[in-house]
Amino acid sequence: MDNTQNKPSARKFLTWFNPIGRQTGSWAFILNRITALGLTFYLFLHLIILGRLAQGPDAYDSFLLLTENPFIKLGELAVVAAAILHGLNGIRIVLTSFGVGVTRQKQLFYGFMAIAAVTILFFATRMYVG
Amino acid sequence: MSQTTSSTYISRPRPGETTWLWLIKIVSGPLLLVVLVLHFTVNHYLGSLSSGLMTYDDIIRYFQNPIIPAIEILFLITVVTHSLIGLRGIVLDMNPSRQVLRAVTWLLSLLGVASVIYGIWLALTIASKGA
Repeated sequence: MDNTQNKPSARKFLTWFNPIGRQTGSWAFILNRITALGLTFYLFLHLIILGRLAQGPDAYDSFLLLTENPFIKLGELAVVAAAILHGLNGIRIVLTSFGVGVTRQKQLFYGFMAIAAVTILFFATRMYVG
Repeated sequence: MSQTTSSTYISRPRPGETTWLWLIKIVSGPLLLVVLVLHFTVNHYLGSLSSGLMTYDDIIRYFQNPIIPAIEILFLITVVTHSLIGLRGIVLDMNPSRQVLRAVTWLLSLLGVASVIYGIWLALTIASKGA
C-alpha cells in the first residue's frame, strides 16, 4: 500500500488550481471547494457588516449607499453566482449520496450548471439593467 | 466530497470525518438552499430601496414579527454549521496530522459558537429596537 498519498500536504490544495488533465468530476469538485471558501468568507464578512444594525440607522443606511457602487454590485453578483453554483452542485452531491443518478453524474452536473448559468444571467440582468 | 476522478464517485464520510458530521453537512445543504432563497428574496427584493434592499427601518419592522428572529437564528446556526464542517472537510483534503486536525476542529468549533452567540445577540438587539 502506498502511504505517500496520505502524508500531510498543502500541495494537494494547490492541485485544485491545476486545470491540466481534468475530468468533469474533478471540475465539479474544484467548483464546490472554491465556491465554499468564497461563501464562507462572505458569511463572516456579512455578519460583521450586519453589526452596523446595532449601531443605529445612520450607521446602517450610510453603508447601504455603498451598494450602488458598481464594484460592490459586482461583488454581490459574485456572491449570488457562488451561492447558485455551490447550491446546485450540492444538490447533485446529495442526490448521488443517496443513490440517485449515480451513473449519470456528468449529465446531472451539466444540467445543473445550465440552470445555474440561466439563473446567474437573470440576476445579473436584474442588478445591472433593472 | 473527496477527490473525484471517477464518474461514479459518491460522497461519503472520510477518515477524520464522522458519519454524523458528514450527514449534518449533506442534510443541511438542501435545507439551507430553501431558507437562503427566502432570506435573499425578502432582504434583497422586498425592501423599500430602489434596488430592493431593506433599509434600517424596514429591518426593524420586519423583526417585530417574533417568528422572523427565530427563523434568522435557525438559518444562522444551519449556515455556520454547514460552512464550518465544509471548511474542516477542505482541511481534511490536505491530510493533516492528528494534532493539526484536533487544533483545527477546536478553532472552528470556537469560531462557530462565537458566531452563533454574536448572531443571536444581534437578532435580539434588532428585534428589541422596535419595542
